[in-house]
Amino acid sequence: MANLAVNIGGLKMKNPVTVGSGTFAYGQEYDRYFDISKLGAVTTKSLSLEPRAGNKPPRLVETPAGMLNAIGLQNVGIEAYLRDKAPFLREKGCTIIGNIYGKSPEDYAELAKRLDEAGAADAIEANLSCPNVHDARTARGCTLVAQVPELVQEYTRAIKAATKLPVFVKLTPNIIDIAEPALAAEEAGADGVALINTLLGIGINPETRKPILSNIVGGLSGPAIRPVAVKMVWDCAKVLKIPIIGMGGIGNASDAMQFILAGATGVAVGSCSFRQPDAAIKVVEGLNDYCERHNVENLTQLIGKLE
Amino acid sequence: MPQVSTCEIQAHMEVAPDHYRLVLHAPEIAQEACAGQFCMLEVQEGLYPFLRRPMCFERIYKDSISILYKVEGEGTRLMSRLSQGQTISVQGPLGKPFPLDSDVERHILVGGGIGIAPFPSLAEAIISELGTTPEVIIAARTESMLLCEDEFRQMGCTVHLATDDGSAGVKAFASEVLRELNPGPKARAYCCGPMPMMRATHDVCQDLGITCLASLEAEMACGDGVCLGCVVEANVEIEAERMVRVCYDGPVFDSSLINWSAY
Repeated sequence: MANLAVNIGGLKMKNPVTVGSGTFAYGQEYDRYFDISKLGAVTTKSLSLEPRAGNKPPRLVETPAGMLNAIGLQNVGIEAYLRDKAPFLREKGCTIIGNIYGKSPEDYAELAKRLDEAGAADAIEANLSCPNVHDARTARGCTLVAQVPELVQEYTRAIKAATKLPVFVKLTPNIIDIAEPALAAEEAGADGVALINTLLGIGINPETRKPILSNIVGGLSGPAIRPVAVKMVWDCAKVLKIPIIGMGGIGNASDAMQFILAGATGVAVGSCSFRQPDAAIKVVEGLNDYCERHNVENLTQLIGKLE
Repeated sequence: MPQVSTCEIQAHMEVAPDHYRLVLHAPEIAQEACAGQFCMLEVQEGLYPFLRRPMCFERIYKDSISILYKVEGEGTRLMSRLSQGQTISVQGPLGKPFPLDSDVERHILVGGGIGIAPFPSLAEAIISELGTTPEVIIAARTESMLLCEDEFRQMGCTVHLATDDGSAGVKAFASEVLRELNPGPKARAYCCGPMPMMRATHDVCQDLGITCLASLEAEMACGDGVCLGCVVEANVEIEAERMVRVCYDGPVFDSSLINWSAY
């Protein structure tokens, strides 16, 4: 067995593989297909202070090698998570990355504090980049927090002040240079960055001449976006000191290796779990095979080792 | 527990224009499957189509399952090219089955078009578990689209046919046929078909004062409650609980739970 363990900004993981927030719910469903405690970490669906109903349907449409979604952060809320969902993950022995979403720096700080105090997460991932919620847009109009480096700093500082847990900031690819908000997060004390969130897209039904999604715009995910995601990880790795969790269309170990070679310390399996419920654990097994095939003792030796 | 199995295609035939029956050797899934549940089929290897296709069980045999489907889009078009002897990946069984209630005196299955698909297995379950024989209303646009009539007759079901163009049975909507049957208060309707047809059936059942169980269809990514892509609006007071998942909370719902005005 190769050593796959990583340390992502203070979060120790037995292997680099986690899941994309929103593609794994709170773990229970996919635990019926494989032992989810064998993953490096489980990343929760975005949690908000109050439960959210999300957008009206239709919420998703298939695209070539991927899908567009506009779920709108439907979630049970922090209270129900702490009461009904976290105990399952803790009993399983999972490492938990608690993904949070709020409308202000104060919301994020409160969410991080409550997860920390309840022992219901081992790290915080701040979703500053969901494209499907209108209330996430700032005073400047149709802007995501993760598109404005100064806002990234303000939000990151507020979260860091509220918790001792490692804090990761999830960034959007819908920006000219993703390294700018990444650097802003680092300067504000983030312990890592997670990228990429979905790319904006629209699906149109030519027969009805109407948009397919009720939200009109959705977020594109799946293997279709993988080259974009790998390039953005590479962009960030060149300038950051803090580690990166890379994601975007990872479905197997060779996909994951592209991200690691480009500079990611951790990797997340997202939409590919929908097709193959055990995709994430297959990536763990495949990374071990890769290391054995290439005589690599510690997978960390290969982080950013693009030749 | 749902599982993912590689299954051999035992038979694949066109049963009506653009309508197919796919029989899969799937012993583990067949053993656990109940009428009203569904499976997710991987149409082909590779990334196109990216998502599996949700398909309800038409029949559940000892070692195999059958799927009845209509070619509607790319996924089903590719599916229709699969041949006997090929294998495909099947995930299931998924979702909640039809509840079987022995207090019900008259079971009426109402299928519109390809919406008849879950009812052969339901008819079998009602016969074998409740010891009574359901009635079936089979409705379609035209005669050639009426599906499963022989299957239901072989099971001993009373069959009522209805077509939009009057080419077979009565020229009426399925919901109108249901109203004409004048089922007593101890009857229960089960419906599956296009949303407007189910909405009309729900309205008739409200008038008649009987329970209607609707089997819904939606585009879905995971089929297992995770992605939240397949939700429908329910009549629920608490706003945050208003969106129910067709895949996990359904696909079978008491029709009074669904907010039909949204469709």
